[in-house]
This record gives sequence, C-alpha cells and structure tokens, in this order.
Amino acid sequence: MNASSPEPVLSLINVDKRFPGVHALKQVSIDLRPGEVVGLIGENGAGKSTLMKILSGVYQHDAGEIRVGGRPTRFLDAADANSQGIGMVFQEQSLLTNLSVGENIYLGNEKQFTRFGIMNWRTLYDAAARQLAKVKVDVDPRARAEDLDFASRQMVELAKALTLEERGAGHLIILLDEPTSVLERAEIEILFARVRALKSRASFIFVSHRLDEVLELSDRIYVMKDGAVVAERNAAEADVTELHQLMVGRSLQAEYYREPLQKTYRAEIAVEAHNLSLAGAYRDISFQLHRGEILGIAGVIGSGREELTRTLAGFAPHGSGRLAVDGREVTLRSPAEAVDSGIGYIPRERRVEGLVLFLPVAANITLADLESLSRHGLIDAREERRLAISWVERLKVRTPSINTLCLNLSGGNQQKVVLAKWLNAKAKVLVLDHPTRGLDVGAKEEVYDLVRAVTTEGLAVILTSDTLEETIGLSHTVLVMRDGEITHRASANPGAKPRQVDLIGHMV
Amino acid sequence: MSTFVDRLGIDRLRQWLPLTTLVILVILVGALQPVFLQPATLLQLASDTAVLFILATGVTFVIMLGGIDLSIQSMASLASVVVALTVARFGYGAFALAIGLGLLAGLLSGIAHVRLKIPSFIATLAMGGVLYSSALVISGERSIMLADAERSYQSWITGTVFGAPGVIIIGLVVLIVAHVLQAHTRFGRYSAAIGAGEPAAYASGVKVGRQKIFAFVLSGGFAALAGVVLAGRLASGSPTLAAELLLPSIAAVVVGGTAITGGVGSIWRTLVGALIISVVRIGMTFLGVNIFAQNIVFGVVLIVAVAITIDRSKIPIVK
Repeated sequence: MNASSPEPVLSLINVDKRFPGVHALKQVSIDLRPGEVVGLIGENGAGKSTLMKILSGVYQHDAGEIRVGGRPTRFLDAADANSQGIGMVFQEQSLLTNLSVGENIYLGNEKQFTRFGIMNWRTLYDAAARQLAKVKVDVDPRARAEDLDFASRQMVELAKALTLEERGAGHLIILLDEPTSVLERAEIEILFARVRALKSRASFIFVSHRLDEVLELSDRIYVMKDGAVVAERNAAEADVTELHQLMVGRSLQAEYYREPLQKTYRAEIAVEAHNLSLAGAYRDISFQLHRGEILGIAGVIGSGREELTRTLAGFAPHGSGRLAVDGREVTLRSPAEAVDSGIGYIPRERRVEGLVLFLPVAANITLADLESLSRHGLIDAREERRLAISWVERLKVRTPSINTLCLNLSGGNQQKVVLAKWLNAKAKVLVLDHPTRGLDVGAKEEVYDLVRAVTTEGLAVILTSDTLEETIGLSHTVLVMRDGEITHRASANPGAKPRQVDLIGHMV
Repeated sequence: MSTFVDRLGIDRLRQWLPLTTLVILVILVGALQPVFLQPATLLQLASDTAVLFILATGVTFVIMLGGIDLSIQSMASLASVVVALTVARFGYGAFALAIGLGLLAGLLSGIAHVRLKIPSFIATLAMGGVLYSSALVISGERSIMLADAERSYQSWITGTVFGAPGVIIIGLVVLIVAHVLQAHTRFGRYSAAIGAGEPAAYASGVKVGRQKIFAFVLSGGFAALAGVVLAGRLASGSPTLAAELLLPSIAAVVVGGTAITGGVGSIWRTLVGALIISVVRIGMTFLGVNIFAQNIVFGVVLIVAVAITIDRSKIPIVK
C-alpha cells in the first residue's frame, strides 16, 4: 500500500492475454507481498481463470511482465511454475483418488525416494507424514485419497503444495482456486486457520465466488471485470455489497435488455413446482411459470440454481415435491422425457450439449423433432430443407448454407441454431442455462431480441445467467436462491426493475 | 478466413481420397494384368467382394455411432454352421434361423454395451468368443459339406439372375436397404448425431441407448447374412469359415472414409472401401504375394487409413 511495503514476491505488470475473438486479460497489474493473502474476485468471464492459468503455466501471457522475487519470468508449464515456487490448490480436486495420500503428495517427484529405480516406500511415507504435519492434519499417508473427506483432501493438496519448500523454491506462492466450493462451514474454518498459520512460509492468491469468505481470509482484494482489474481494496475497508457492485459494474441499461419489448405475461401456467427438493442440491422450491414469462433464477455458485436448471432440463430428476408441466405432473428422468413434455434446453456448454458440431445446420435444427418429418419411416428431405431454410431466415442465422457444419458458425449463430431446434420442436418451455456465455455484445443483443420475440408468442422461459444484471434485465420475475432455498422473489416489470444491491443481500 | 478455406479444401480432398484410390488401384492392377479389366474378372471381383461388403455394412452402423463390433466374423462362421446343419431339415427356414441368431446375438451385445455400460469392444469381443465356441461345439469342430440336395436351396446365392450372379444381387439389395436406413431414416440420422456428438444428441431428446442397441442388432443380422452367403458360395459350413474376415471388414469401413470415432460415414464409403480391399487382394494374388501374408497388408492399410481419416489434433487422449 505504501513505500514501506516489502518487495512483492510476485508482480504482474500490465499483463495482457488474447484468444481468438476475446481479449481475456487487459493490462492486469497485481502485486503479492510476502505473507499476504490476496483475494481475487469477479464474475464468470471476468478473467480470473485465465489469470490463474497463466500463473500455473497452462497459458503464457502475450504482453506485460511477470516478476517472481523481482526477476522477470514466465511459466512454461505446470512443472516450470512449480519449480519457481508456485503451488496450486484447485477446486476440481487434483488428487488421484486411487492412489495413497503419500503417493499423491509426491506424484511426479518420486525420484528422491528411489534407488536404482526401486521405490523406498518407507521414506516416501515418512516424508509425506512430515508434510501433513505442516498443515496439522491427522491423515494416514498410506490411506487412499478416495477414503478421505473433501476437507482432508484439500489439506492434502495444501501439504502437496508445501513440498515445493523442500525443493528449494524459496518463498512459496500458493494459488487457492475456489478451494471452499465443496467444503462445509466448519471445514472452511479449519482450512482458513491453516492458511493463516502458513503465512510465514507462503503468500496466497485466493479466488472464490463467496465474497464473505474472500473478505474473511484476504488482506487485500482485487476486483476483476471484463478482463481488467477495476478495483483494489484493503479487506478491512471493504464490505460484501460494495465488492459485488464493483464486480457487476455497469448500471442497468433498459434498452440493452430490450425492456420496452417486455410484455405482460399470460395467465396460463406453463410450469408449476411445489416443494421441489433434491438431496444435496435444493429444497422446497415452489414457483409458477406462466406462458410468456421469463423467470430468472439468481444465486451464487452452490445456491442450487444450477441443479434446479438441470432438473427442469431432464438431467437430474427431483427427489420429492411436485413438478407439473402444462398441468401434467411429471418426473423428468431424461432429456427425452423433458422434450416430450415440451421443454427445450439451451445449455451453457453450447458446443457440447447444444449442437452436434460435425452435423450440418439443417440436421441440428430438426434433430429434436424428426418424428413430424418422417413419412412411412423415411425422413422427408425436401420438407427438412424447407423447414431449415425458413428457420435460418426467421432467426437470421448467418451461415453460408443449411449444409454448413455448425462447427464453422460463430457462437451467436450457433446459439440461434440451438434456439431454432427448440422452436422447430414446438417447445413450450425453454430452459436457458447461461445463454449468452462466451458471446460478444452484438450477439448477446440478438439473443435478447429472440428471447423477447418468443416469449411474446407465448413461450415460457427459465433463465440462469452469468450476470445478475442480465437476469434482472431480461426477467419478468426473479427468484433468488441461497444454499438450496429460495430466499427472495421479486417482480421485475419494465421501469420497476429491482436493484442489484437489494438482490445481492439475499444471495450472500 | 483463409484457414477455414484451407480446412474445407483438405476435408474435400479427404472425402474423395478413397474413390480416387480405388480408381488408381484398378488402373494400376489393370495395367499390370490386362485380364483384370475383362468383364468376367470384374464380375468375379464383385462376387468376391459381396461377403466382405455385407459384413462391413453391418459393422458400419456400429462404427457410425462410435462403437465397434468384433464378433462379426464369429457370427458369420456360426451362421454358416447353422445353415449347414439345419438346411436339410428346415429348407429355407435354415437361413431365417441363422439370421435370427445373428439378430439375437447383436441384441445381446447391444444390451451388454448399453445397459451394463460395458465398452463395445469388450462386449463384442466376449460375444465373439461365445459365438465361436458355440460354432465349434455344434459343428463337432469340423467343416460340414453340403450335400447336393441341400445345395439346391442355395441357388439364390450361387445361381444367376439375368446373367448377374445371385451374390451380386444380394449385395445390391444390402446396399440399397442399408443406404436407406443410414441416409433416410431417423435411426441413421440419430446414429450420425450420436457418433458426432452424443451429449448434444442426448440433450436433444434422442433415445441414445435404443439407437445403439438397434445398430448392434443390424450388425449381428448382417454378419449372419454374410455367413449364410459364404456357406452358399463354399457349399459348406465351418466354425472358421469367416475367420480371416474381421480385419478386412473393419479395414474396408475405415478405408472407405468412415471415421473410426463415429459421426462421419456412409454405406457408399463402405462399398468403396470393400472394393479397395478386394482389388488390393486380387492385385496381391497377381503379384504372387503369399495369401497368408495378406493380413499384414490389411493391418498396415488399416493403421494408415485411420491415421489419414481422423484429425488427431482434435483428440487429446486416445485410449
């Protein structure tokens, strides 16, 4: 913060990274001082993961400078980052569950325990025990990783990162990427206590979606948005609401979300949920979705909204409660059953679940409803072509032809093909799962236009979105979820949209 | 944009590579042995290709959706044994029995693969073992020659129709039926979608398991038909009758340009692939290559064809 601060152990100076079509990091500058925990927050797509991947050697930066201990450097791969003292504890736990704790801790560095190629297991497990003692976790180094609970596994990962000390890496820099996402509160307390105790040995960069935790653990916090660092705060002087506003940034623009096109929804109920529960995911979810209504579900990671979305799309049937689509009670055991009920799913993984990339546009558009194209068991090719052409024209899909592979379309046009597929299948309900992820601004606006158009025609829409702003901007009604339950319902009529800060209070 | 055009160019080239190869091979062998290009030889070539083509057609359906069927040669051999043992008693019913067995074996392989979630190569490797042993047991481990009276039932295979050998007509019927299934039905479309992008097909409401099982049923049925035709041509049934046909069949599918990873392919490509294999085989005979050494060539051809037809940059991990 001031001139008397010690020399940073890690400095990023105007680090820049581009991918085709995306400027992922824009002039990012971050300092990490000895013994410091720096929090890094931002919405999905803000650039946090790209930054972590550069620090762990997965990507290399295009411009700017990274300094470790004052010396300019770059990380060629994970092993290179390790050798420069960067340790990682990642959310997708990296332990191999079929190996023992000790084997995991020294995975890839077993050479020190071998003689003439033969492992001396005793020395390895003794060394592993010493590492585990550093994080004060009572785990048998010979236990298999799969027999440990998540909290212990996280500690083992921490112990593994600390082995870098023995390898002469000097002062360590440990990246904590969403380490708490699978932990219970008590487990989080333990993890945080260990991290604080280790500050004499290491500095930490802590990435989390849970702002309260970031505030609790960090000394300083950087806020990222759209690939740039937009704010830096001392944790002692910040609060959750302010941080969230810094993350979200933009003031709501009515025009952007086509608010004037938001029509009053109809009286008919398309989907009704009553006390819907799924163990470990969400409980007692009740709502009514009307024809022509957009129901936005807001919530942070772990709020249960993602699982609720998957339930409605047929991927994860609910455990108890009632779900009715078009007045008919259903349990959606597979996407096929959801489709039969009139539900269309626009997934976040557009290129995996949305489209068959190696099939042409026409085949993708008709994929969900080939029944009505079949005459005597054969697909009516002429009718298929006619339908595909009419959808391409109606949705203004920019494609050289209907025979072009979807692989060759831009993200926005791919998304239009997914939408065309469900409109062609006469879906009555659309589940939009992060529908604008990875799209540029122009493509987003086209998606908003189309969503407005189809709801005006009477489709009902359930929306989960990357940004709260988008959820509020598009929805008629917003449900806020926290820890698997609905904590707040807000109507979001044009001109009377709820404020983000009001909803954030119910999210965190 | 230029890379996009480049890729399109390479894809085009890949698409026409098998047919070009076939034409070049025919010209090459014809130049070395002009007798090869005489109508009688070409007709013989077509007849010799039929069994291979029928086997390859069945397995094409499975490969299209990303699986494999390794039981086809055992199924074909078993079918030949069943025909040889029962044609005296059941007459034409023997053929139906053999093909019915093929459909059943395919159904069981499919169920094992889909419901028990066993990789298709394991499920069909095991099924192949079961079928091969069954053929050994019921045949008494020997080759069964058909008596003259029994051969009369084989005239639809061994005879001619308007001068064309029956076996070629059978091959053409298989071609037409399989092409219609593959290119003009929901099953064919779903297969392509599953092979190219199973998660998207599943999310679109396609009943993935059902399509897969049906593909195995087809593969088993066509394999049995191939065995029936082979029994007719050789006037015998034997547990090892089709023993050398698995490798050439899969090679035919892949050489024709159907991707071993699924999604891309057609019955026409399999026809071209089967013809390439046949021409290579005949060419080797003309050149005096030991008949037992031919699978060395087919093994190499299979590896090369897979290497050429798939873009490995898109596949980070191969198991």
